[in-house]
Amino acid sequence: MNKVCFKNINKDNPSSLATYEASGGYKVWRKILKGELSQGKILDELKTSGLRGRGGAGFPTGLKWSFMPRNQEGQKYVVCNSDEGEPGTCKDRDILRFNPHAVIEGMAIAGYVMKASVGYNYIRGEFMEPYYRFEEALNEAYGAGLLGEDINDSKITFNLYTHLGAGAYICGEETALLESIEGKKGQPRFKPPFPANVGLYGKPTTINNTESFASVPDILAKGGQWFADLGVPNSGGCKLFSVTGHVNNPANFEIPMGTPFSDLLEMAGGLREGRKLKAVIPGGSSTPVLPAKAALKMNMDYDSIDKAGSMLGAGSVIIMDDTTCMVKALTRLAHFYYDESCGQCTPCREGTGWIYRVLKRIMDGHGKNEDLDLLLSVQDKIIGNTICALGDAAAMPVESFIRHFRKEFEHYIKNGESMVAKDG
Amino acid sequence: MVDIEIEIDGKVVHGNSGESVISIADREGIEIPRFCYHKKLSVSANCRMCLIDIKGNPKPQPACSTLASAGMKLYTKNAKAKAAQKAVMEFLLINHPLDCPICDQGGECELQDVAMEYGSDVSVFNEGKRIVADKDIGALIHTDMTRCIHCTRCIRFGAEVAGIVEMGGTGRGEDLKIEPFLSEGIQSELSGNMIDVCPVGALTSKPFRFEVRSWQMNSIQSIARHDLVGSNIFTQTHKGKVKRVVARDNESVNETWISDRDRFSYQGLASEKRCLVPKIKVNNEWREASWQEALDFAVNGIKNNNSDGSKFGALTSKNATLEELYLLQKLTRGMGSDNLDYRSDFANPAAANILKSSISLAELEDIDHALIVGSHLRLEQPMINHRIRKATLNGASVSAINAQTFDSNYRISNNLLTAPQNTLATLSGVLKAVLNEASEKQPDYLNSVVVEQAHKDIADNLLNAENAVVILGEHVNGNPDSDGISQLVKDIAEASQAQTLNVSLTSNSLAAEQVGFRPVNGKNALEILASDLNSFVMFDIYPDFDCFNPESAIENLSRSDAFVVSLNSFEDDSVLKYSDVVLPIASFYETSGTHVNIDNISQSYSASVKSAGDSKPGWKVIKVLADLLEIQGFEFVDSCEVADEALSMTPSTSVARAKITGSEIPEISTVWQCAPYSVDALVRHSSSLQETQIGQINVASVSKATAKLLKLSEGDLFKGVPVNINNSVAEGCVFVHTYQPRKC
Amino acid sequence: MISDQAKKEIDIWVAKYPTGRQSSAVMEALKIVQAENGGSLTNDLIKAVADYLDMPRINAQEVATFYENYNHKPVGKHVIRFCHNISCMLNGADDLISYLETKLGVKTGEARKDGLVSVKKVECLGACVGAPMCQIGDKYFENLTEQRIDEILDGLK
Ligand SMILES: Cc1cc2nc3c(=O)[nH]c(=O)nc-3n(C[C@H](O)[C@H](O)[C@H](O)COP(=O)(O)O)c2cc1C
Ligand code: SF4
Ligand code: FES
Repeated sequence: MNKVCFKNINKDNPSSLATYEASGGYKVWRKILKGELSQGKILDELKTSGLRGRGGAGFPTGLKWSFMPRNQEGQKYVVCNSDEGEPGTCKDRDILRFNPHAVIEGMAIAGYVMKASVGYNYIRGEFMEPYYRFEEALNEAYGAGLLGEDINDSKITFNLYTHLGAGAYICGEETALLESIEGKKGQPRFKPPFPANVGLYGKPTTINNTESFASVPDILAKGGQWFADLGVPNSGGCKLFSVTGHVNNPANFEIPMGTPFSDLLEMAGGLREGRKLKAVIPGGSSTPVLPAKAALKMNMDYDSIDKAGSMLGAGSVIIMDDTTCMVKALTRLAHFYYDESCGQCTPCREGTGWIYRVLKRIMDGHGKNEDLDLLLSVQDKIIGNTICALGDAAAMPVESFIRHFRKEFEHYIKNGESMVAKDG
Repeated sequence: MVDIEIEIDGKVVHGNSGESVISIADREGIEIPRFCYHKKLSVSANCRMCLIDIKGNPKPQPACSTLASAGMKLYTKNAKAKAAQKAVMEFLLINHPLDCPICDQGGECELQDVAMEYGSDVSVFNEGKRIVADKDIGALIHTDMTRCIHCTRCIRFGAEVAGIVEMGGTGRGEDLKIEPFLSEGIQSELSGNMIDVCPVGALTSKPFRFEVRSWQMNSIQSIARHDLVGSNIFTQTHKGKVKRVVARDNESVNETWISDRDRFSYQGLASEKRCLVPKIKVNNEWREASWQEALDFAVNGIKNNNSDGSKFGALTSKNATLEELYLLQKLTRGMGSDNLDYRSDFANPAAANILKSSISLAELEDIDHALIVGSHLRLEQPMINHRIRKATLNGASVSAINAQTFDSNYRISNNLLTAPQNTLATLSGVLKAVLNEASEKQPDYLNSVVVEQAHKDIADNLLNAENAVVILGEHVNGNPDSDGISQLVKDIAEASQAQTLNVSLTSNSLAAEQVGFRPVNGKNALEILASDLNSFVMFDIYPDFDCFNPESAIENLSRSDAFVVSLNSFEDDSVLKYSDVVLPIASFYETSGTHVNIDNISQSYSASVKSAGDSKPGWKVIKVLADLLEIQGFEFVDSCEVADEALSMTPSTSVARAKITGSEIPEISTVWQCAPYSVDALVRHSSSLQETQIGQINVASVSKATAKLLKLSEGDLFKGVPVNINNSVAEGCVFVHTYQPRKC
Repeated sequence: MISDQAKKEIDIWVAKYPTGRQSSAVMEALKIVQAENGGSLTNDLIKAVADYLDMPRINAQEVATFYENYNHKPVGKHVIRFCHNISCMLNGADDLISYLETKLGVKTGEARKDGLVSVKKVECLGACVGAPMCQIGDKYFENLTEQRIDEILDGLK
């Protein structure tokens, strides 16, 4: 537990520069500044580590960095995605609060690898406490001569700024986030071109999640193999899991990849007295829901969760016990996507509202027999047809909720009320 | 160019790598449905209608944003593509009002068309449709935003083509609304194109609203005649009336766009002020007459007042057709007179120097620098300005020598404010700077010229450019030094190896030049209007707007011994004051004719509708007058024959070198610019154009210091126009820009 | 329209972005003038921000209407933003929101007549391990119960 991003979480003053440096922080960065670590070596270690993007898509970070045209002349950027908005997810907030220097160091290293002299950390607008902590850490880092122009005569320049969001889940999508930094509304761009070629202000840009960046310094300090060995094949390292919902001790846990779900559930204090596990959303609201049986068989790594029928996503484990009305839960999620759709592309703009309204109608007691097929067909028409993955994210829960809990939906439609006596 | 092979629906086709798949399909005639894609706008890929199946891709991909690469295999109609397209169509329709029967776009709606093919019959959507409140966005465009499908073409048009970011998408998700900021409305001179780019009936023509259904109209190919481009249009008519004008594609002329002036001027045709019957003045009383009577009256008047023709003069507006200009010229010369001109608004029509344009419209997009001399290009020549704007988007820079800093839709990096009386000196400075830098010999007249830094900067701009153009604008016409200015522009262009573009002669002036509608030895416009001639034919002249000095012109023409035959389309008090006969002639779109554009392309068109009331096409009236005056050579059957003869003339091209001597330098001078929607009688009578902000332009701008000299304060009237004191104007001049009648 | 103090704050943000990219600061600029105006924006303020940052007004309005954190109607001095998304919902957020509404005598989405508070239901605020939770000003309040809410409300002046 707590080996990487959270390794200082139980220390006094975990966010301070002193605490960070005491645990080996900025060692890698100082080595780089002294010219003792090459870009190629860093990329190799990252690839070895098996670190996969922690923002949800799980794309191998080393590979992503190697796609950057780093030898291209001109300005390039490093951007950190701290927009954390996926329901159920609240890990990056704690990294920013308790280990901000790891993010700074990770970003600086990325800047060095990509030959990008400027970085932005995009922090969601509501995260004011994390923002203040991160700014404090930035000040410390500048004060200690770890950031700035031509740092320690190394010819390396890295300036890092925060950009605050203003309330829009879609800005977590990487290209919407770039638009947002550019002072526009957060509408995703179509891809290709990818940010690695045309990113912030039209320049090559690397974007990673907060947790991804925060993992980089330790990987380089202790070696890619060390990190890989923490986890299981194809899912290197430790990962933060936010366990929320119907558990006694909801919290963030940094555990090795591949840890059995049941262990994690236990860490979170198990279910409340007398309750039974009904369903689990393993990776945040946009990943398919799993019935208890399937969930209890899985381990917390990419392949195992995939096999169970869902996705690891951002590691946001939402636990639902037998008091949960699945119709209500899905309706709430549907409302979320309806509310957060950016509106630019047709299937998502029109489809999310349609799904939400049908579910709402069912909840209001006006459901019709055809409604379930209708919901399935609408989600099917959204999936794969949108500019960004929000469309898919909105559609996937619908399919899985209905597939696994169809009876509950049918009951609601027929009787105008939930099959579950009292929902949580 | 075409360098790769791809396969679409099993057919091997060719394209350029990096070209979008949809554009290849379009060229090959393979139909892919689309809404947001527009060949002249950036790709947004947001409607998702063009989704197709690309081999090797798990998800369907938009054809508009997918770039072709060699060997690609695409399926536009297989099950996967069709399913995606149908899905999108269904989503687009759930919140669409489907009010086609009362929609002005009905019958020409891209949504309707695509829905027929890709929609399903029954909608399973029962959740209540979205209603969007409408905003008043101005006099030209009507909005029905409930019909909007959020394709963002209008937004992109504004940002990318019109060059003013006016439309935007506010809100998000389902609440996304396409609208301008608050009620500021749309102000662009090209705004009407938003109507054309809107694929549905969300943006429609306000003047056209509820007039007729689109399929009831005839579309007639025609040419717009308000500027030097001659944009290609369709006039759409119903029961003998023009109901609407829309753009017609012609890549080398107007691409796909037309200006608002070209689009909405037709409204003037229905004005109550049309001249519908001939009128004659007997004993100082006007009365209606039959054509026969009026023509006899006119011919007798002319005959009685002329012994050898030298006492005869003819003036025409620049809007006349090539045929009308040719015939009137022939009539005048047949009368034995050389007193003829089309430049009645020139301060100095004696100036002979005609600057030739050496660059074509399309080539303008490739320039890397433009120097504009004396032009508010955006409002004078919107489509030419648009080409320059495109060049700037590709990195070209622009400098200007103007009496005022104008609102432009691109950056003018070097703006040298110059009052008219100093233009000659400034250009001399620039020429000298160019010659100095190029180490060329200088002519003597430049000896005493002082080169200032500003002149050098402009010279550098020109010399550093590979492909520059110098543009001469219409402000030169009101300048007594016009001859010298044109000569200097030519010299500067030559010395810096730049191209030239002369936009000072607008509308159909180049047709007038083609047929020699200017005196060789006789009197020019100013002289005609100040002379003791005693019989006149005034073709389409409205002296308050068309004459340099309306007051003296009207006074002179009103002499008791002057017999004036006027041919007009619109009633006009000043015309009635001095005329003895008014013969009603067809207006724009009511006559066949030919327009000669800036590329010297003659574009002929036929009449879209019959002329109003008893009015007759101008060329026919002139022909009959000539016949009655017993002048030979008018045996024409139709206007084509006239055009053929006119175009076979070889206009005299040799123009003597103008002397670069300044006229007397006034301390303070005036630039009088007619507002764009007042340039001719038709636009002046188009009520919707008049209601727009551009139509309401009425300001005499003056600097603080100059205002002090003239004892003017803010809001005072200068020649009838409200004064605005601001620092955008050169010292020593008042810049009048107005829809009002001209005051000398 | 924009105070000198606000301009100073905006300029700090402008300085973070490359020259000519000052419109990147529009989101913060809008927040700054919104705070100065008691928590909500007006069209004139949006216009002023756009003009100050030299960007098209409609683009500033797009931003002001796209993001959730801008208000276009006057709000209470304290805005209680209560999460009702899944993790909070599972932990009783709906009941607590009703409790809050009754206790304050105000409906979600509205400001109370005396102008002291307004309550807004919002989507996930990224503190799901502390569900149910709400945000007031810069601060998060987690693991809420009726009793905890009473205490918090007592502290609002
Ligand atoms: C709708 C949507 C929301 C997203 N939200 C977040 C987010 O809040 N945080 C995040 O790091 N990634 C988010 N992502 C994923 C990012 O687009 C991107 O993949 C990620 O930041 C890349 O970083 P990584 O490779 O380190 O994971 C979101 C994606 C989508 C489609
Ligand atoms: S899928 Fe939704 S959020 Fe993504 S671009 Fe389309 S409308 Fe915007
Ligand atoms: S035309 Fe391709 S997505 Fe709209």
